[in-house]
Amino acid sequence: MNIAWAMHALRVLLSSLLLILVVIIIMFTLLELAPGDPVQSLVGQVPVSEAFRAEMAATYGLDRPLPERFLSYVGNLLTGNLGYSYANRQPVVDLIVARLGNTLVLTLPSLVISSCGAIVLGAFAARTRSRAADGTVSFLAVAGFSLPGFWLALLLIMFFSVNLGWLPAQGMSSFASSGISPTHLILPVIALSASELAFKTRIMRSTMIEVLGQDYIDTARSKGLSPFQILRRHGLLNSMLPMVSVIGFSLGYTIAGAVTIEKVFGWPGMGSLLYSSIQTGDNLVVMGILLVLTITIVIVNILTDIVYGLVDPRIRARMRTRRGADA
Amino acid sequence: MTEIAESTPSAPRTQSVTTAAAGPGRQSSARVFFSSPSTIVLLAVLFAMVVFSFLGPLVSQSPSDTGFTVLSPPNGANLAGTDSLGRDLLSRLMIGGQVSLFVGAAVAVICLTVAVTIGGLAGFYGGVADAVLSRVSEFFQVIPGIILALVAVAMLGASLPLIIVILSLTMWPGVARIVRAECMRIAELGYVESSRAAGFRPLRILWSDVLPNAFPPVLVATTMTIGRAILAESSLAFLGLGDANAPSWGALLYEAQAYMQSAWWLTVFPGVAIFIVVLAANLLGDRLNDSLNPTLSRVK
Repeated sequence: MNIAWAMHALRVLLSSLLLILVVIIIMFTLLELAPGDPVQSLVGQVPVSEAFRAEMAATYGLDRPLPERFLSYVGNLLTGNLGYSYANRQPVVDLIVARLGNTLVLTLPSLVISSCGAIVLGAFAARTRSRAADGTVSFLAVAGFSLPGFWLALLLIMFFSVNLGWLPAQGMSSFASSGISPTHLILPVIALSASELAFKTRIMRSTMIEVLGQDYIDTARSKGLSPFQILRRHGLLNSMLPMVSVIGFSLGYTIAGAVTIEKVFGWPGMGSLLYSSIQTGDNLVVMGILLVLTITIVIVNILTDIVYGLVDPRIRARMRTRRGADA
Repeated sequence: MTEIAESTPSAPRTQSVTTAAAGPGRQSSARVFFSSPSTIVLLAVLFAMVVFSFLGPLVSQSPSDTGFTVLSPPNGANLAGTDSLGRDLLSRLMIGGQVSLFVGAAVAVICLTVAVTIGGLAGFYGGVADAVLSRVSEFFQVIPGIILALVAVAMLGASLPLIIVILSLTMWPGVARIVRAECMRIAELGYVESSRAAGFRPLRILWSDVLPNAFPPVLVATTMTIGRAILAESSLAFLGLGDANAPSWGALLYEAQAYMQSAWWLTVFPGVAIFIVVLAANLLGDRLNDSLNPTLSRVK
């Protein structure tokens, strides 16, 4: 194992842990600032028994001074205790884990579609000789991220479900059947992909324009490669570097978009859970979701970092030479 | 993560505004910007929406009058139809516009103020301000600001001032990064050197030599912040986290969802209003960026 790599991995790990800690501090601060009775601000607008109230006070050290409250809060989280949802009569962890899969079923296809679509459209817009084609793609891209995703979702339902009756508008599958039906997935995935597709297309386009202006592209052209070969071998490969990190970061934003999209389509994922918990003031669930999301995003970032190292020939080369030097 | 952030050419979640190139193109940027017809159109569209929202109520029906036929489609008396309580949708759109536009403008002004202060200090001096800015930017690059805003508003209560403050907290780093980059670039230029040589105090140089010249790209970022803030507020309001006393366009959509099947106008019009304003702000930002940035034209 070479030292440079280990140092790098350690740094990534530390900054990830720091990020999670910052989110926990924000959550604790919000809880402290939340108006009203501390027990009620944890469990929401449901009447709680005296026994439960005493239990909460003990678990969260509600009668103790601030530093101790913070420590018992962090202690609870570290042991995987995100609290108990009094409104749902279930531990918060169980509630969230049950929904996590449904959210990923929605977000992962959206991530793939928006990323692949953006690479193709962005490269096309950068490369095409037709000003009209480039202009159209560029305009649609701005329009795409100026559009509220949830409004697009509402329009899709009004058109394809209410008017045409082609696609289902609510839930994951037809009434009385279980599982996830593909037809139920189409509209939510489109609504969720649109703005990310638009956003990434813009970045891909400007990255590709920059890459195609480089000297090595001229060299490739003078070697007699066809425009398509240049685009595929030199253009795409070099544009992929920045795109990998953009795609990595976009997962978090896709999940953020899923909150409103799930609400519109009645999709029983984390977003719907977040919405219903906000409605009932079930703050333990709200904060639990924030924490689970943060951890998910951080893990994806670490993965992105690894992929980045694999894709970037400069980093690969550095590793090789270092490895050579170490030996 | 730090490495990715540094090696990415355009910061993914902040507006991808490249700092304007210094050079002969610079002086004429204002002229290019205003001479282009679509810029005038975009400004006119934004101005029209402001007039519609703030002056429209003078001539429209009362937004709280419930005397109209419930859920009637657009007609002569109610140009945009009525809602489930028999209120005139057109006048409610005007009131909603006041809220949405106010949130957009307020967040943009707060972001601009904070960004100029912290971004200016960070770009000109480095040091603590720079460290704070880069940590906070990295944080928001990873954690979507809208999720934090959602959780914060849910826990602290949905009031308009609070929503504005929370959205500003999540959005200022985007603008500040651009101020910082511009100040770093300008601090290296000849006239700043000569001000230094003339013995002016650094803060004075920052205020009178550096910041005014950093203004154009910062204007772009601020314009786009208006659009982003309006979108973010509408998402919050759509989830029921809008100020109940100040129903924005997003809040109208929240109410509309129950009548999606029967009353299309309730869903279509508020969304169109949001879309027009945000699109105009984003296109304006793009235009501004192009005119400031002659080097970024596409390959021949």
